[in-house]
Amino acid sequence: MEEEIIKVEGLTKDYGQGRGIFDITFSVKKGETFGFVGTNGSGKTTTIRNIMGFIKPQKGNVTVLNMDAWAKSCEIKNEVSYIPGEIAFPDLNNGITFLKNQAELLGLKDMNYADYLIQKLQLDPSANLKRMSKGMKQKTAIVAALMANKGLLILDEPTTGLDPLMRETFLDLILEEKQKGKTILMSSQMFDELERTCDRVALIYKGRIVDIADINELKSSTLKTYKIEFLEKTDYQKFKKLKYKIIRDQPQYYQVTVEIDDKDINKMFKTLTKYKVKFIAEIKFNLERHFKDILAKQLKGGEDVLQ
Amino acid sequence: MFFSKALFKQSMKANWIKWVSVTVATCVMLAIVIIVLGSLSINDIRDSLKNVFTQADQESVLKESAVDGYDAYVSTITFENGITNLTGNAYFPLLKGQITSTYDNNKTAYEEENGKMPTGEDLENIQLETATELVTLIKGFATIPGVGEMLEGISDEELSQFMLILVKTYENDSDGFNSTDNEVFITAVNTTYSQYVYQTAYEMYIAKEGETEESAQAAALMAQGLVAKALVYYSSEGFIYNESAFKAQATNEVNELLQSEALKSFNITDESTEEEKAQAEQYAVAVKVISNTAISTYELWLQEGATKEEAKIQASASITDQIDAEVAAALEELGDMDIYGLIIGSIFYRIAGLLLPMVYVIMVANGLLAGQVDSGSMAYVLSTPTKRRTVSTTQMLYLLVSLLAMFALLTAVSTVSVAIVGGNEFAINFREILLFNVGAFLTMFAFAGFCFMCSAIFNRTKYSLSIGGGISIFMLVCTILGLFGSDVVPSAMRIDQMNFFNYLSIISLFETTTILSGGLNYLIGFGILAAIGIVTFIVGTFCFDKKDLPL
Repeated sequence: MEEEIIKVEGLTKDYGQGRGIFDITFSVKKGETFGFVGTNGSGKTTTIRNIMGFIKPQKGNVTVLNMDAWAKSCEIKNEVSYIPGEIAFPDLNNGITFLKNQAELLGLKDMNYADYLIQKLQLDPSANLKRMSKGMKQKTAIVAALMANKGLLILDEPTTGLDPLMRETFLDLILEEKQKGKTILMSSQMFDELERTCDRVALIYKGRIVDIADINELKSSTLKTYKIEFLEKTDYQKFKKLKYKIIRDQPQYYQVTVEIDDKDINKMFKTLTKYKVKFIAEIKFNLERHFKDILAKQLKGGEDVLQ
Repeated sequence: MFFSKALFKQSMKANWIKWVSVTVATCVMLAIVIIVLGSLSINDIRDSLKNVFTQADQESVLKESAVDGYDAYVSTITFENGITNLTGNAYFPLLKGQITSTYDNNKTAYEEENGKMPTGEDLENIQLETATELVTLIKGFATIPGVGEMLEGISDEELSQFMLILVKTYENDSDGFNSTDNEVFITAVNTTYSQYVYQTAYEMYIAKEGETEESAQAAALMAQGLVAKALVYYSSEGFIYNESAFKAQATNEVNELLQSEALKSFNITDESTEEEKAQAEQYAVAVKVISNTAISTYELWLQEGATKEEAKIQASASITDQIDAEVAAALEELGDMDIYGLIIGSIFYRIAGLLLPMVYVIMVANGLLAGQVDSGSMAYVLSTPTKRRTVSTTQMLYLLVSLLAMFALLTAVSTVSVAIVGGNEFAINFREILLFNVGAFLTMFAFAGFCFMCSAIFNRTKYSLSIGGGISIFMLVCTILGLFGSDVVPSAMRIDQMNFFNYLSIISLFETTTILSGGLNYLIGFGILAAIGIVTFIVGTFCFDKKDLPL
């Protein structure tokens, strides 16, 4: 079995009024990139704070590198780099002073990697910390965290404030780190960036993990989804009588959405040549869709229970 | 172990401007207070007020001795006149015999009762007893012509005094007493009288507050001297027993005696300058005038029917005795007040000088922990291999070291300032200024601990500041209000109820008045302040270890 770098079991931190996190369980394996996705206030940051040992769990266990996250908080930091969700720097003059001070706290002597990161992110560290734009601050925070070149990266919404170009650069950087074999835990509100970088992504909703999706599995799925619109009503009705799996039906447009395995696709196209088709479109695989579907099903299920 | 150099440097970089501005401002204020107020000699008013009271006391003493001297002189004349009348009386030998037998009887009775001869106080009591018996006896014979004549113009009081002196003369010099030579008898009586006056004057003075053995002796000697003068005057040629004449003589003699005494006290020699001579002369004349005033007042009150004691009190009253007692007490207290010590100790070191360091402590203590947790910047420290305990102890150390450096500088500035202004009259010495600095540091140490504890407990700046800073400022304000109820403010301006505020502030533990008045009692307060600081720092450190941090 692969080594589990982060292990979270039954983690609960109840802040009352439904806020907090409840019974969170997951683990991150060595070399894996694990994503957290969820709306604001869903509990991503609270989970990360527990892993960092900033807050004490009410229930459950959090271990990092087989050490208790709360009790061994300091020892764990030897192996962890962290980008906090909120960007606020110590009361220091400029970026250079801050980075140097941070290096001293980290016990870091070799600044080569820091220089590399600064170049890559096109950061001007001599700027006044207080007058930096949000993006500049974020870049500075990224450099401060990554420069120590540690084996485990915990990144709380690291791309907020970055412009689209810089975001690309940053994601490249993450992939680079991943290639080096680093273990990464990263939270975000953006599905696409997690989809690109992560091996697995957990969806947190109202403090609970709703689903953990394996990106590779999703990507290599043979099931495809197509949207077909017919010109005539008769064709539409005839097609519906065929035994294809229709996941969405919009009669007003004579439109259906079909889920179909790759091996059956030729058969369906042959059938379709007999009909007057207005258009046919493949709906690409997408993490967002995946989670939205799951969430929709769960909510419906929830409603059923209520009824 | 629990120290991070990088974090310490970070705290220094973040707070050095605050430190410099607060330290410089406080040092400048302190230097101004010590140097400028010191050279303005603000204690002048106090000193002149004090002078008024000292002079008033001197005046009162002078007046009293004038009255006493006058009284001794006049009494002597009256006494001599009485004795002359007595000795000239036909019944006098009979009286002498009566005195001898009564006194001897009383002494024998004492001896039989106690088995020893009476001495000291017992002897004096027997003498008094004998005198009283004799007075009763004589008065019993008052209807006999000749005896009544003898008693004419003599009050009961005077009569018992005569008898006492005669008994004493018999005791001291029985040969002189029994002598048939009138002159020998009178000399013996006068010697006893002179001794009696000396003794009564000495006893009266030594019983008074503030009189020493020496001053009582001097006063008694003066009375004795005046008795001698009176005797000379009485026996002088052409003396006629005329009350107004001998009273005028008495006044003159007393005035001149006091004047010459005053002149003597200046130690004027041939080498003295003209100015010194003139000054001494002027003073001596003033003394004469005061003496004369006292005697006339005394005489006037006697004529108005006052007793000797009442008249003496009125005559010796000084300017301050004429003011209402409460006002006089308030003024005297104002004279005793140490304005310089009040401003430096109670106002600068307990209030004005604490304000800026307190603002520094409140701001920095909050910024060292709660501020960084609230903003989230603490995450950068705690995401490195730095223990929470290391963070709290390092920040605590920074707060303490910066505060210590601040007060080290204040101590240096105040010591130099005291050295610049310091002279003989200077109210503040090096020990006091050093203890003021130590006390102020310990007070700030307690506040620093408290603010640090609040900063460690709360995650939000607003709570840390409003509890830590709020209570600190509240205590400072209480000390300002409490000042108006404390002993350092003269009673004329004091509102005792305001003292209640002092119980609400730990600054009251820093007792500048105790330091100024000497002794070691201030150490208790110092100890408590240090303990408050130590306990709150430790509690803060532990709280910071245990709590959840929203980073």
